[in-house]
This record gives sequence, C-alpha cells and structure tokens, in this order.
Amino acid sequence: MSKPNIKSLNKMDFLKIVPNRKQKISEAPANHLPSVQSYKANKLAAELHPKAQYLEVAEIIQQTNDTKSFVLVPDSKKGTRNLAYFSAGQYLAITLNVKGIVLTRPYSLSSSPRESLDGRYMLTIKRVDDGLASQYILDNWTVGTKITASEPLGVFTYEPLRDAKQIIGIAGGSGITPFRSLAKAIADGDEDADLTLIYGSRTRADALFQEEFEKIATSCSRFKLVNVLSDESAKGCEEGFITAALIKKYAPKDADYSLFICGPQAMYRFVDKEIPSLGLRRKFIRHELFGEYRNPVKDDEYPAGKSDKFGLTVIICGEEKKIECCANDSLLETMERNGIAVLAHCRSGICGWCHSRLVSGDVYVPKSVDGRRLADLEFGYIHPCCTFPLSDVVIDVPPFQS
Amino acid sequence: MENQFDVIVVGAGNAGLVAAATTAKNGLKTLLLEKHNIPGGCATSFRRGRFEFEPSLHELASVGTAQNPDIIYRIFDGLGAKVDWRYEHNTFRAIVKGKEGYDVTLKAGIEAFCDSMEQAVPGCRASVHALFDLVNTDNRALEYITKKKGKPNGLTMVLRHGDFMRAASHSVEDVMKALGMPEKARNIINTYWGYLGVPTDELNAMHFLSMLNCYVVDGAAMPYRRSHELSLSLAKVILDSDGQIWYNNEVTEFLYNTDGSACGVVANGKKLYAKEVISNVIPNNVFNMSDYGKIPETDLKLANARKFGISVVTIYLGLDCTREELGINDYTVFIMGDANPRKQYDNRQRDGIYIVNCLNKVIPDSSPEGTCTMFFTIPIFGSDLPKDLKPENYKQYKNSIAQKYITDYEKLMGISVMPHIEEISVATPVTFARYLGTPEGTIYGYMLSDWDNLLARISCEKDEYTIPGLSFCGGHASHGDGFSCAYVTGDTVGKRIVKKIKGGN
Repeated sequence: MSKPNIKSLNKMDFLKIVPNRKQKISEAPANHLPSVQSYKANKLAAELHPKAQYLEVAEIIQQTNDTKSFVLVPDSKKGTRNLAYFSAGQYLAITLNVKGIVLTRPYSLSSSPRESLDGRYMLTIKRVDDGLASQYILDNWTVGTKITASEPLGVFTYEPLRDAKQIIGIAGGSGITPFRSLAKAIADGDEDADLTLIYGSRTRADALFQEEFEKIATSCSRFKLVNVLSDESAKGCEEGFITAALIKKYAPKDADYSLFICGPQAMYRFVDKEIPSLGLRRKFIRHELFGEYRNPVKDDEYPAGKSDKFGLTVIICGEEKKIECCANDSLLETMERNGIAVLAHCRSGICGWCHSRLVSGDVYVPKSVDGRRLADLEFGYIHPCCTFPLSDVVIDVPPFQS
Repeated sequence: MENQFDVIVVGAGNAGLVAAATTAKNGLKTLLLEKHNIPGGCATSFRRGRFEFEPSLHELASVGTAQNPDIIYRIFDGLGAKVDWRYEHNTFRAIVKGKEGYDVTLKAGIEAFCDSMEQAVPGCRASVHALFDLVNTDNRALEYITKKKGKPNGLTMVLRHGDFMRAASHSVEDVMKALGMPEKARNIINTYWGYLGVPTDELNAMHFLSMLNCYVVDGAAMPYRRSHELSLSLAKVILDSDGQIWYNNEVTEFLYNTDGSACGVVANGKKLYAKEVISNVIPNNVFNMSDYGKIPETDLKLANARKFGISVVTIYLGLDCTREELGINDYTVFIMGDANPRKQYDNRQRDGIYIVNCLNKVIPDSSPEGTCTMFFTIPIFGSDLPKDLKPENYKQYKNSIAQKYITDYEKLMGISVMPHIEEISVATPVTFARYLGTPEGTIYGYMLSDWDNLLARISCEKDEYTIPGLSFCGGHASHGDGFSCAYVTGDTVGKRIVKKIKGGN
C-alpha cells in the first residue's frame, strides 16, 4: 500500500481557480440566450402538454336523439397549430362560458390518437338531464364555434407494463367514448392489446358507434364488441345488466385480463358489486373518473350538520369574496354558480388541479373520492371539487387562467 | 400600495420557499409567486391509484436530529417549519455487474463506513480515513475563511491550510490517488457521483468530500409524507407570517428601473413591484424575460459559458406486494455496468448507472398495507433524448426504457417486479422540462464541472449576478443542486435581503 501523500498535489493550483473562471467567462460570447422552447426536451414538453389548446368545431355528427359528436380542429388564428398527441382513454377539460358563468368539464376523446396527428379530435357528448354543461354544448355548439381545451389528461389508459394484454372493457351509456378511441388505437397498431368491449345500453337505438365498431371488428381480430341491452332484446345482443357471469362468459379462461370500466355512477355501483366474485387482483381493475359526487348528506359516514346553508369566503390573490354555500353542493360548484371561475380538470377528486387551502371551517370529503396527498391532510388543503361545507368556510383558491 | 411589496420571490421551489419564509418571518411584506397550483418544484408528490409517490428526493443530506442538528434541521427549525423526519443509516449498496464486479453495502458512521470499505477492499482503510481527515481539514479552513469574511490572509492559507487548497483545486480522483486509495475503493466511494451529476475525474474534491461526509456522518433523512410535506411546511411559515403565496401566477416578465435595478415582475398580466426580487428561476429564463439591455455583460457571458446540469429518467412503481415478499432489503442500490464513474457517465444511455430505491425500507407505511413502491433513477441529459423522438412515440420510448431497467434489475437481483406492477409512471427530461420549465429539463441547474465547480462559484459569487435588487437562489445557484444546497441558498439570500432592507446585523 502506498503511503498517503496528498502533498504531491500542487496547492498553488488553488490560486488559479478564480482567474481560470474569469478567463472562461470572458471568452464566452455575450449572445442573447436561446429561447427555452429551442431545446428538444422543452419543445417536446410543449407539444405534449400545451397550456391550452384553441380549437374550432369543424363538423357535428348527430349520433342519437340525445348525443352528438363534435369534430374539433386547431384554431390557428389563436395560435394552436397542432393538436397534442394523447393516449386512448384520455380526456380534455373544456372551458365553457355559460351566460357569464365559467365552467370546466372533462370529456373523453372519442377519436383515435392517430387522428390527432391529422389535426382532428372528436368529443362525443350526451345530454344529461341536469347537466348545465352538456345541455349548453348540445344546444349552442355549431360549426365554427371556438373552444378552449386543456392538454389531454387522465390515466385511464392502457399501460403495457402494468395491464394484462387482454382487456375487457365495460362501458355504459356515453362511457363508450374512451373505448372508441382505444379500439381504433388497437386497430391502428398504436396499442398492442386485445379489447373485448362489453357495452351496456338501454336499447339498440341508444348504443353508439355500432357500424363503426362492426367495421373495426371485421378488419381487426383483436377487437370484439358485445352489446348488452337492459330494456329490450335484440338479435346478437345480451340482455340485462353487466353481471359477473356475463363478464366471465367473455373473459379469457386461462389468462389474466384487465377490466377497464367507464360509465355513469349507477353503473359503477352495480359493476363494483359484481367484480369481487371474479377474483381479479386489484391491479387488473381500472375505473375511469367517478364524476361529480352527488348527495354527500346521504352517505353513511356523513357527519350530521347543524344547518345546510353556510357562508363561503373565497380568497383569490389576497382578495376576498363572500358567497353562500350549502351542504349538498361541492365548494367548486358553488363558486362556479356564483360567477367565480376556478381551476378544475377531473371534477372527481383525483387530479388535484383545484388544490386549494382551507383557511378555516369544517368540511366533509367523501373517502371514496379523496385523492389528496398525505401532507394536504396534515396542512389543511382540499380539492374543492369533492369538498362539502359543514360550517362557514374560508378557502384560498388559485386564480383562474384558462 | 396594493401591488407593492418589500420582497417578491419568483418560484416556490425549495430555495424560493426558504427565502420567502425567511423574509416573511422577519416582518418583510413578502409575495411568493408560483406558476403551479402547489409549491415545491421538485419537492412535491403525486398520486396514482392508492399510491403517493416521492418524485425526486433520494436522500436529504445535512439534516441531523433534534439532539444533533445539522444545517437543514436548523433552517427548518429556525423558521418553525415542522417536518416528521425519518432516517436511513446505511449509505448505499453498490453493485457492479460482470466478472470484475462487486456487491458492497456501506454503513453510515465514519468507523462503520471504514469497516465496510476495508472488508470490500482489504488494505484501503488508511486511505479512506485520510479522506475523512481531509474533510476536517477543509472544515477548519472554511471556518477560517468565513471568519475572515471571505478574505483570508494568503500566507495563513498557504502555511496552515495547504491541504484544503489542494483538495479545493483538484478533482476527486486526483485527491484519492494522491492519498493512495486503491482503484476499487475509489470506484466504490465514487458511486456517489450520480448525486452531483458530474463524474469524479471532473468533480471538485472538496465539494464531493463535504457531501460524502454529510451522508456518512448524519445518514440521510426523508420526510414522512413525501417531499410535499417539506414544501407545505415551509408554505405554512410564510402564510403564518402574513406573507402571501399566489399560485397559478406565472411570471412572464422581470421589470427594471431606468438605472438598471430590478423593481418587480409581471404575473398573470399584472405588474407587481418590490424593493427586492428573489428568483428561484434559473438565470437563463430570467434573462429571456428581461430587457436584454439591463443584463450586465458578465452575467450574459456567464450564462453563455455554462453547461446545463444533468436530468434523469425516473420510473415510479406501485407494487401489489410487500418489499419483504419481494426480497428487497435495501433503501438505495446503485447498479452499474462498469466500476469506473467516467465510464458510467459516458455509457449513461446504455449500461451506465441506475439507482433503485424502496421507500418502504425507511418508511414502512409509505404505501398501503400489503404493497410497496420502487423508484428507479437513471441520470441522462435533456440533450440525450433521441433527436427524432416525436410526441406520438413518446409513450413507447418511456415504456421501453422502463422495461429495460426493470428487466435488468429482475435478472440481476433475482427479484420478480413486473408481475406486481399495479401503478407505473415514467418521467424523463421532458417531464422535468414540463414541470420545472428549466432548459433541457435540467434538475441540476448548471453542470458543476471544471471551471464552474462549487468552489469557483462561491469564490466569485460577489462579482456575478450583480443587477441591483435581483438575487438568485436554487439548484442553479452558488451551492449547486440537491435539496439541501437549494435550501441553503434560499436561507443565505433570504437573510441577506432581510439585512439589506431592515439594516443591522
């Protein structure tokens, strides 16, 4: 072993550190710096995740009595030249201005990822009885309507390292939209999976995209459609609801499969009771967003409130606004109805986009939609989209920028 | 005036949070502007399914305990920011593949560390000890320099602190070789280069030794509730001190007086003014948001001369079984294709180096019962991304990297990971470019190499970034990258501004 001899290093090199640095700096040009978008990583980030996408309705397809598809193209005049690419199953958060009330709503993309490269997205929207947004869209969007949308969002996507290669899709009503995208992505060869789609509708006439699905199934052996009708019987269709027995009938017998479920809340409630008997591991069960949580006061774990009307103080960048709120409405919905525009994407408690600080007051957050981080609980932060007041409440909310 | 503040801090990253907490706590009217809806920058967390992932922190250095606090503990404690710290007492396990390979686990504590090294490389103990002695030599010299307020007597330096001068002006490899450390021992210790992003034949020895010492003496600390806890805890200090934090407020312009001093910013289209502006945003981006006529030539040349630091690919896995069931017994494992750090760096896109962490080893309940999480980190530059990578191939690109490293780990360790993946998320320099907005998605600011090493930065700090009323803090600043360095620069700048505005000592 050699004897340590740090003395062999020249200590006078120390004196060169500063002059050397100054020399290097003086030799450099004094150019203006490249814009951050000129770097590959930043350019890709901007293409994949634009802060906003300005779109225009190019075509409207009446799908059924109460459902329309809207083909959206870039509004280049407002600066959107290309559409952001996405994974089948993702959604856009659409900002609407309904008589001065700014709302944001998530809608799954029903078009294929590949179509976005040609500058086409499609949203398929069904009229919901008490749905302010869907009614507004169906009644007001015409060819040429300008729209502001988010980047593609959400994690209801096929992940090859996580999911089984065989997917059983469970769709109800307009929950079919992400599966149209996935079926097309599989047919295009952009996703390497098999999809058997079990699609629940009331009647044959309510079932969307039938011709298209048949066409895809004919040309692509990896896709198969099973229609399940609850209110009528029809040739080639299953009857009733989507039960465990029905899922088993179409699921692979000797291989793992992933269940992807998207539909109205009533369907989640029904299907979730059926799933346990399938004996699937949790990783093979994927739900799309739950949607807005309704009637929290009916929950078993709901704490009894003293009254149902409270005061809500909203602080945005130091400015206070006082409005009324009630126990059964989420803080997000209350703010929107009172003309306060709020950041929101998923409206289901998960994405955290509406993350706000609870300054004071008691609130109820249903456990099943509480997507907050641990430290949020510790330091008093909430997701207003699934937070309900139990007293007068003061919250600090980021300002809205579409 | 409503839009007039004492201090505006731009960016609620680690350093911005500490700077704003320091100025607010000291009674200055402080506004912290953040473009996202949560604070923290890298120090955050994200959820997938039933898992909450730590996105960036591996091991927080220089924390210490209540009984034996080190600088980070003192900064948080001094501000009144509460953190539930958890500790890891091993430094790391290093595995080099192949015939010449090794598998070594190093314990924290200087004697235990030296024991582990001696066991791995018989005969190296003296040289490893000499390394730690050098740290003490360095510390004595630094104390003296600080006492002399950065203007040490030249003769005293040469006569009394010669070894410090040697360590401070040579690379890690040069110093270790001079200490007679065998190559294998050098390689094992130098596994840590990954945390600074610069291979050890280029990395400043004094810098490396101070980091090594922190980890070996104190071990590493992690917040119980992921890094989001660190950030919210600091945010609470700001709010409790009547400071304001405005989220979703992206600064798009820096404002200057006619005399060239900074006077405010524009955020969300609104002009906001302050006596002092502190930027947690990298100077390159600040200059691009400024009137170039106001940027001193030296600062612009410096920005042109610098190289961006490294970024990473990270793979976050939520698994549906416990770490015990899998047989994972280490918090941190470095896995390398070659023992030599320079080769690891050069081969970073192939079989260079990757780090695998399992947080459940330190915080058993950091994921739900019956589960665990894993976190793979592969250092690469933003400029390493394939030139022809298009948005439509990006998902496949991410998955192919994830598959390659997970499979490599499975084979090497005999641990089956893939079938247990319940949640997966992969981040790349593109992800960091998206969230941090840094050029090339760098998470390490500027590369700490050659002339831009830590010591050179600190020595020249007073001559650089001289715009009156504008200060910089963060991973791109004088102390380099890493959570603890960022906190330290936030603390230093915050205190300096307090002193400047309020006067006194």
